[in-house]
Amino acid sequence: MVLCGALMAPATAHACAVCLTGAGNDSVADAFNLSVLFLMATPYTVVGAIVGWLVYANRRSAAKAKSEDGGEPLASLASLQKENGR
Amino acid sequence: MARNSTARRLDETAPAAPGKRLEFGGGEPPAPPVRPNRPIGSNAWLATLMFLGAEAMFFAGLIGAFIVFRVGSAIWPPPFQPRLPVGITGVNTVILVFSAVTMHAALRSVRAGATARVSRMLAVTAVLGGVFLLIQGYEWAQLIHFGLTVSSSVYGGLFYTLIGFHALHVAGALIWLALVFIQAKSGRFSKQQHTGLRICVMYWTFVVALWPILYGLVYLY
Repeated sequence: MVLCGALMAPATAHACAVCLTGAGNDSVADAFNLSVLFLMATPYTVVGAIVGWLVYANRRSAAKAKSEDGGEPLASLASLQKENGR
Repeated sequence: MARNSTARRLDETAPAAPGKRLEFGGGEPPAPPVRPNRPIGSNAWLATLMFLGAEAMFFAGLIGAFIVFRVGSAIWPPPFQPRLPVGITGVNTVILVFSAVTMHAALRSVRAGATARVSRMLAVTAVLGGVFLLIQGYEWAQLIHFGLTVSSSVYGGLFYTLIGFHALHVAGALIWLALVFIQAKSGRFSKQQHTGLRICVMYWTFVVALWPILYGLVYLY
């Protein structure tokens, strides 16, 4: 709807100063665009890094737990002939 | 139904075929044992991670402002403004990066159970951080002497804001490091329990990792 509105009334869209200057080949506009792109990418990078670290820490913790337990799960008593009496 | 049940009991008493798995009472074998959940980190660790995310966003805002003025200017640094000391700050960068190495050595030491080495490594880190701040302070004094102040130009304003906030973070990290050092000296940390040291290492690593980015942007770009 916003896009339709902007296409139908381009002069209204020019009300945004950054959008207006972004249309030209101005170095200030390029600087604003670059800054906007940088700031847009940063949250994804930060959240991605945090999630990535959590996944890494989880895997490392699981691997450590496995190595401390001896690597193999405990055998259930029922599966041992000596223990199940048969 | 009764017949089926009898048949099952008879079948159970029959000798098991070689290789067949025997179970109590027939039916499905018991579920494999479940390992208890193991936390990947303490609450303090998670909180520090979130705090560092917020810190990263704060510096991203400052860097965004720097990009607007730097890319938007045809001539940078502006005329009649002093040039920043690239060489000495490069040496300072190496010092700060090396402090992260010693900080991680302290963490490795506590994990290995060498608690005596922890306080030594923390002391070395604190000295390196202090040297970094001293060199920064000397550099600032020189720049102010040459006329570069916060209000002298956008160039000065950006420089002191970006580099100043980083220096403030290093100073804060240094105070935190001093507290952790006191705790390490009093034998507070062990191989199993060293969360305080771990989160301090995280913060120090963040402060150190941020500096080469700022150095590249403000001094070299």
